[in-house]
Amino acid sequence: MTSKIARLDSIPTRKVRSPSLFKWGLGILLLALIGWRVVTVGIAEGYPASFWISQALNGLVLGGVYALVALGYTLVYGILFMINFAHGEIMMLGGIAGFFALQVFTSIGWMDGSAALVVFGLILILIIGMATSVITGVTLERLAYRPLRKAPRLVPLISAIGASLFIQYSVLLIFGVSPHVYRKPALLEGGFRVGQVFVSYTGLIIFVTSIILMLALYQIIQRTKLGRAMRAVAEDKDTSALMGVNVDQVIVFTFILGSALAGAGGVMLGFHNTIVKFNSGFIPGIKAFTAAVLGGIGNIPGAMFGSLILGLIESLGPSALGIPTEYKDIIAFSVLVLILIFRPTGLFGEVLSGKKA
Amino acid sequence: MADREPLRRGVTIGLIAFAILTYLILIGVPTRIGAAAFPVLSALMALFIFAMLRNPMKGYPAQRPPSRIIAHALVAGVVAGVLTAGLVWLFTSLMMDGVRIQPVFDQIVPQNIAALHGVSPGAVANGEIAWTSALLQVGMLALAGLAGALLVLLNRSQSAGTLRDLHIPGTKWIVIALPFMLMALVVWMGSPNVTIGGNNAGTIRLLLAMITFGSGLFALRQATGRVERTVIGVLLAAGALSMPFILDQFQNSVLGLVFIFAMMGLGLNIVVGYAGLLDLGYVAFFAIGAYVYALISAPMSSPFMIQQLTNLGIDPSTPLLSFWLAMPLTMAIAGLSGVMLGIPVLRMRGDYLAIVTLGFGEIIRLFMLNLAPLTNGPRGLLNIVPPTIGEFSLGTPRYIFLLALFGTAFVAFAAYRLNDSRLGRAWTAMRDDEDVAQATGINLVRTKLFAFAIGATFAGLAGQIYAARQVNIFPDNFTLFVSIDALSIIIVGGLGSIPGVILGALALKGLPEVLRGINEYRIVAFAALLVIMMIVRPEGIMPAERRKRQLHPDDAPPEDLFTTSDDRVAPTITLDERSS
Amino acid sequence: MTLLAARQVTKVFGGLTAVNRVDLEIEKQMIASLIGPNGAGKTTFFNCLTGLYKPEMGVILFDGTSLIGRRPDQITSLGIARTYQNIRLFNTMTALENVLVGQHTRMHSSVLGALLRTRRTLTEEKQAAERAVELLDFVGLAGEEDTVAKNMAYGDQRLLEIARALGSNPKLLLLDEPAAGMNPRETEAMMALVRRLRDELEITVLLIEHDMRVVMNVSDRVSVLDYGEKISEGTPAEVRADPRVVEAYLGPGAQEEQANADPAPA
Repeated sequence: MTSKIARLDSIPTRKVRSPSLFKWGLGILLLALIGWRVVTVGIAEGYPASFWISQALNGLVLGGVYALVALGYTLVYGILFMINFAHGEIMMLGGIAGFFALQVFTSIGWMDGSAALVVFGLILILIIGMATSVITGVTLERLAYRPLRKAPRLVPLISAIGASLFIQYSVLLIFGVSPHVYRKPALLEGGFRVGQVFVSYTGLIIFVTSIILMLALYQIIQRTKLGRAMRAVAEDKDTSALMGVNVDQVIVFTFILGSALAGAGGVMLGFHNTIVKFNSGFIPGIKAFTAAVLGGIGNIPGAMFGSLILGLIESLGPSALGIPTEYKDIIAFSVLVLILIFRPTGLFGEVLSGKKA
Repeated sequence: MADREPLRRGVTIGLIAFAILTYLILIGVPTRIGAAAFPVLSALMALFIFAMLRNPMKGYPAQRPPSRIIAHALVAGVVAGVLTAGLVWLFTSLMMDGVRIQPVFDQIVPQNIAALHGVSPGAVANGEIAWTSALLQVGMLALAGLAGALLVLLNRSQSAGTLRDLHIPGTKWIVIALPFMLMALVVWMGSPNVTIGGNNAGTIRLLLAMITFGSGLFALRQATGRVERTVIGVLLAAGALSMPFILDQFQNSVLGLVFIFAMMGLGLNIVVGYAGLLDLGYVAFFAIGAYVYALISAPMSSPFMIQQLTNLGIDPSTPLLSFWLAMPLTMAIAGLSGVMLGIPVLRMRGDYLAIVTLGFGEIIRLFMLNLAPLTNGPRGLLNIVPPTIGEFSLGTPRYIFLLALFGTAFVAFAAYRLNDSRLGRAWTAMRDDEDVAQATGINLVRTKLFAFAIGATFAGLAGQIYAARQVNIFPDNFTLFVSIDALSIIIVGGLGSIPGVILGALALKGLPEVLRGINEYRIVAFAALLVIMMIVRPEGIMPAERRKRQLHPDDAPPEDLFTTSDDRVAPTITLDERSS
Repeated sequence: MTLLAARQVTKVFGGLTAVNRVDLEIEKQMIASLIGPNGAGKTTFFNCLTGLYKPEMGVILFDGTSLIGRRPDQITSLGIARTYQNIRLFNTMTALENVLVGQHTRMHSSVLGALLRTRRTLTEEKQAAERAVELLDFVGLAGEEDTVAKNMAYGDQRLLEIARALGSNPKLLLLDEPAAGMNPRETEAMMALVRRLRDELEITVLLIEHDMRVVMNVSDRVSVLDYGEKISEGTPAEVRADPRVVEAYLGPGAQEEQANADPAPA
């Protein structure tokens, strides 16, 4: 035994100190700074509680729509490990189809008819929007993604970028530059008050519909045979194929589900923002992707909560921090960056870690 | 019968052809073609049917009876014909009844429909189109089917592939001579008494100039041996540098932009192609380069700068530094921001990295938009001073192009040398397997940050030249699409390949300018091309080739040379020749 | 003289203790083996040594320097190199380049040096390339310099991994199942190579191996892991005779039935 080993014996075996102390220290400092900013600026502004609540409600509505779109990103990513860059465009096409359906129903008088007729019409519009998006999504998968399934990761991404541009500018060429304006039926106008807080009917309906659709999706994935196959393929594509799962079918089904939700999102965003045009899927698409990453991409509940959180941050952030609302996108992206620094697999972890490296 | 392809195939092809025709009609192509629209579209479909039927279906014998091919093609043509004619007739009859379709389909206007029938637009409004026109259309597409079948049979009769396998002696020298011949053509087209192409002469010449550059890159790859490479390299470089003086203002302006994007692509290529870090926010550094130079050279449009400079007793109405003195500063600031944005994402991989960098890019743009006191917000920074030599201004498209050429040469040279070094190997190792690279002794933090910093520096330089070219810059010049453009350039050209990136810039930034004639279609054409390219040739036009053994530089094969034609003129090259 | 001394090294994944209070000492210039059934924690232990995992507890001293908390690249420059159970080469690079990357920590050229191609950089590159060729010759891959790693034969890939590891001039080389998937002739060559590493290059070797012929043949000392714990240690003959080892490999009660059997069939 040499003296070096003697030195070894003198060192007590102990728990290794966590090296991330610095990181967390920084995180807490950052939170403290934000908190201080909120207290000194946001609260000092003296907005009434009702202002915050209605802002939060706005955020939830927006978050609900983001969630529908984010789920599509997460589903496709979970199965194929690719960012479907054109997902925002799939959503936008749903919105466009919804617009034309609304036009037709308005012109034949359904939208001024009885409440039941209006509701029936709205549901039909939603279904038409969803169907259009499903057709687009499935076509896209068949033409632009399926031939590239074995290619390196960047290749389908570029293909998706190409598809995204193609859809956007085709819509521009086919339907013209002028934005399509959703004319809400009278039934959707206005709202009601709870105390000081105003709740719009449109917002309420959008939120409730998104929740219903998300629950439906969850049931499909958990209960149906195809849903189970989907989870199996997400776990391990090759093994699932060996076990007799038709991988092609599962992938198409994934695109159907994701696109249907995006189409619904597109129609609802149409009612929410009142206009749809060729590039109106782009920013919401990026936001939804952000939300999906926020919740841990590949993780379905993660995408839902990530979206709601993103919606809330966007609507509350600017007022709370006392900065102009133009910065709301900066806040959204900053939150994303920060969360990924501190929790690299998203807020709710990643179900499919390791596979994507 | 198992060995016969079902007729269903013909129906499927017909349906796809119908979808394509519908798309083309909806985006208004017939309006642009005019009276010959339907025959032109039919000819297009003949080619399409040929392409689809050329190879047998999976699992069927290669030798198909001609009757079967004709039957398939005819079915495809008739299906497409009946459906298309039906759709066109639907539009026609609606219009003749006075229904306006334009509120829904923007391009379905009388001119479009009239072009499809080969009549004047007035005929539609007056309801003068007979239903026989529809029959004619069905016939045309059926004929297109037959033509497609004929092409398949012709293609089959001559033994395919022999042409490709043929080794013509002297091919190498033809390829090497090509750029010089093309250049001669470009020069000749520029002389005042040549009138080729009429109104489009300038565009045709631009296209030729771009092809010249592209063929120069191929020529350089053909050269073998040290002496040959040097001689051809110098000749090509001389040719490239004389280009700005041969071309006119429009052509120089386009090519200037092309080479600015080539510089940017080369920088991004270091990050994505060499180090394997997917960066979607690369525009940030381009923007930083442009804005830093703009603030230095034209402080008058920034209220903040005016105030600070006035406080310091400096006259804000003159540039703080000349273009040349500003250059190291711009590059340093861009490089530093590369490091700063790189630090937080060091531990991220793949798509997380992509989305966070995308976020960074947007954040920078939004700051430019909203940080009005410094950046003047959406009104932008104006009157940026061009580079000068003494009193001589280099602000014209000609000299900007020349500047961009030099810049590209410098960047390509640096990228080549870095890739062929210890750092370059570390990048490749990291791209191949990050964990193993680290366990092999590579400091990931250093290696990644170097990639980000060097990539950002190059983008900063490109940004500065861009600012000088544009004179006025706005946040809208720096959207996500610039990042996407740069990424598409390196992927279309060939990831990790220096000549590939330049070729990619020529194709993606140059071609759309050539296609200006069909302005509204260039983005969809480009986008479709991107998708098709990824499916048909994902490795890029000019893929990267392996570095070979460094031991014996003398017998290095031609692939060893990644350099562009312009490398030879970079000032450092003399050092290269001496030291090796 | 002791080159590596590990004390009480413990690594926990969730609820599973993959490596549990393992002590290990390796003398200079010996060939030590780490054996044990699948999932015994051998590779995890390797990963703790090379810094890929951070042990929850324990001390690892290498040549008098503590390795705990150091990054893998720092540990490599201290003089530990390794190969992988499932071959992990830089697949797009040639054999020569793989070895050049292996020499990364022993080279110094800077960015500026690379850009200007200074005389120093060129000399260093030239020497590195010559060294790489030597190393490829040493492991038996002469003439394969320009072959892209992913196109090489399986056995050659294993050899290339060793050459790459040798590039960093290691004092200690960790080999993770170097003979896995090899035929008897290749295994024989691998054993000879491992001995030459010790005898000609004076490198200390620690190897994980399932092939008992290899282990018993080349090892100076063998340590046995089971369920993350070290259950036996000694010369190959001692370990072979240890009833606890037989039990670990063949299950409890096996030693009576197979009293004369080798603990080989893993």
